Amino acid sequence: MSKIVILGAGISGHVAAAHLRRKLSKQHEVLVVSPNSNYQWIPSNIWVGIGRMKSEEILFPLQPLYKKKGIGYKQAKVSTFHPEGDSETEKPFVRVEYVAGEKKGQTEKVTYDYLINATGPKLAFDMTEGLNPGTNKAYSVCTYTHAEHAWDALNDLIQQMKQGKKAKILIGTGHAKSTCQGAAFEYILNVEQELRRHNVRDKAEIVWIANEPQLGDFGMDGMLLSYGNNIMKSSEMVEMVFEDRGIKWIIGAGVNKIEDGVAHYETLDGEYNSETYDFAMLIPAFSGHGFKAFDKNNQDITEKLFKGFMIVDADYTPKSYEEWSVQDWPETYQNPSYKNIFAPGIAFAPPHAISKPRVSKNGTSISPSPPRTGMPSGITAKLVADNIIDAINGKNNLQHKGSMGNMGAACIASAGYGMTKGSGISITTFPIVPDYNKYPDTQGRKLSKTFGEIGLAGHWLKLALHYAFIYKAKMRPFWWLIPE
Amino acid sequence: MTRRISKSKRFYMMNPIIQFFKFIYLSIKIMLIVAGGHGGTRKANY
Repeated sequence: MSKIVILGAGISGHVAAAHLRRKLSKQHEVLVVSPNSNYQWIPSNIWVGIGRMKSEEILFPLQPLYKKKGIGYKQAKVSTFHPEGDSETEKPFVRVEYVAGEKKGQTEKVTYDYLINATGPKLAFDMTEGLNPGTNKAYSVCTYTHAEHAWDALNDLIQQMKQGKKAKILIGTGHAKSTCQGAAFEYILNVEQELRRHNVRDKAEIVWIANEPQLGDFGMDGMLLSYGNNIMKSSEMVEMVFEDRGIKWIIGAGVNKIEDGVAHYETLDGEYNSETYDFAMLIPAFSGHGFKAFDKNNQDITEKLFKGFMIVDADYTPKSYEEWSVQDWPETYQNPSYKNIFAPGIAFAPPHAISKPRVSKNGTSISPSPPRTGMPSGITAKLVADNIIDAINGKNNLQHKGSMGNMGAACIASAGYGMTKGSGISITTFPIVPDYNKYPDTQGRKLSKTFGEIGLAGHWLKLALHYAFIYKAKMRPFWWLIPE
Repeated sequence: MTRRISKSKRFYMMNPIIQFFKFIYLSIKIMLIVAGGHGGTRKANY
């Protein structure tokens, strides 16, 4: 009998738990440890943030589902890792602290045979002075509660605009090293459409601010994509959309301080500027959780497990941008020191950025961190689950591999909500990490699998995916037929 | 120079009938790309 412990119940942790439970017999234990009581379909947060969806439509409680499916669940957060056990406990374990219920505040050793670290990122609002969701008129859509608060504030502003107030709305990244520009991109287009729906668009100036060196970088060095019969850069596509919607933009901007209605930032040119606003939605930097690890003698071995995020089978040798290779990226997400620990999704430490690093004239690093969104999170979680199942069955060859340099991704970016007035920008990219050796003439990507489409169908597609993935996450009949 | 969305293109983008067929086409195309497999990169002929 094996015990598999999964830390985190986001897209990655939940996918791993679901596949492990389905494919392993009941003699093996699958246990999820998460401080969250609900599963949330994060890509739909933007619709909560414009008041077109309720939180209840994008989440469901984890405990009843896990109980029904035979998956153990502890509402707790991990504090330390002990991959060799300690003087009292022979088996490896993690120490967890309960965050709710009768055991709230109590700690416990949770032993394991295999550990999947799917703790995702820490939303590091504290890395930008004054950036805290709900204060200084700045908000976030990173969680459903943040998105609810954002809608409350935006709705207030819309009501004031209906009374004649002129307003300025600032949306983008809130730190020089933020990632997840895609979520902010979706939100700005949705906000713009909602203002038109409420007949107050003429009262608002909408500004995009981002650490991207050019529009459409998305932390992936941009992309060359096929668009209808044309070939277009992602920067040209985003510029076309922003022009069409009357959205202004500031790029190469590292936001470093937020005051009440003022965002201070530094540009790649080394200038220090500020932008006033009445409502802002700024994506924070992501960081690791600062976990500590100890060996059986209680000596600190954090550097064997963590490099901010968790160390996996990537090549972390420091290299210049010109020397970066697609082969640097991990394939199995296995920790090299402890072979029974894996870190799929956003929990693994990337070997380096994807976008070319850029430094301002003052020496400040201003460039996007690499994105690792829902689809790769699900794919990497499934392959980790499959490798663990193989290992339990006596096959230790890690035959399931999925490098982001040999994996496609679909990004269906909502550009406005509505069955007849909605819009979406459907973008696929293959591979996610550009392979400049294999595809030297098309900026590292396979053009037949890297395309963009704009239109109403994109909105329907995103809505269809919303319902399909919530169906899948609820493990309804034949859920496994829906790909990650 | 910035590309612009023309009137005919906007009609194409927002016409529900055209977009219905586009929805079917995109669903299949994206499914093929997403479900088209993934793998490692460290062997010579991946």
